[in-house]
Amino acid sequence: MGILTLSLGGALGAVSRYLIGLALMKKYPKPPIPIAMLIVNVLGSFGLGLFFGLAYQTIPLGAYKHPLFLFLGIGFCGAFTTFSTFSMETIGLLRQRLYKKAILYFGVSIGGSLLTFLLGLQVGKVL
Amino acid sequence: MIFKNILAVGLGGALGTLLRYYLNVYTLFAGYPIGTIFENIAGSLLLGFLTGWMINRPFREWIKLGLGVGFCGGFTTMSTLAADTLYLGNVFSLGDSMVYLGISLFAGLVFAFIGLVLGTKWSEVK
Repeated sequence: MGILTLSLGGALGAVSRYLIGLALMKKYPKPPIPIAMLIVNVLGSFGLGLFFGLAYQTIPLGAYKHPLFLFLGIGFCGAFTTFSTFSMETIGLLRQRLYKKAILYFGVSIGGSLLTFLLGLQVGKVL
Repeated sequence: MIFKNILAVGLGGALGTLLRYYLNVYTLFAGYPIGTIFENIAGSLLLGFLTGWMINRPFREWIKLGLGVGFCGGFTTMSTLAADTLYLGNVFSLGDSMVYLGISLFAGLVFAFIGLVLGTKWSEVK
């Protein structure tokens, strides 16, 4: 049961990231910084914060038996957002010696994800 | 064609998510999110390696998407990183959360680069 819930959430999260990434890259073919995964990460972090706020009013450490936590938290939001592409895109900018862009991309990705997560959590608590 | 790509991304994402889940559950005893640190670093290394490898020996599109976008993307996570960072800041201290964030980010970048270099090197056609 857990395996199915997780797989479905993870598959949906990854496919959504892929399709949204494609759509964003089509709409903005030459962005100054790689915005597709930045937007996905910021949105997904907001989503996880919102879910935690709504369901738990806090950040749960190990709600690993809760099916909704598996599906939405670990599955969907976990797989929708990504860290490996973030690392690779930062490395790519650094290798092209685009240091300012690398710092901007790095900072907005991390700062944005933390802030939107917190925002989502607060909004979820209030609702 | 597009259907095949989507299927590969979904399958890779599901496998990456399952592996991430089991690593998290089996490291819960630590009381510290070492699972997520490991996943983000290892996933960055693997994606770097695949990217480097495919410079010299490109895979078919659906395999590339399934492994990179699906598996590595689903195995690593930014939302849990944000949650863990803020959790540590709340429950422990700001220092703890900065150490967690610093290790994840620094090692993630370093290992992505190492993977890229190794992948490029090992795939050279001699």
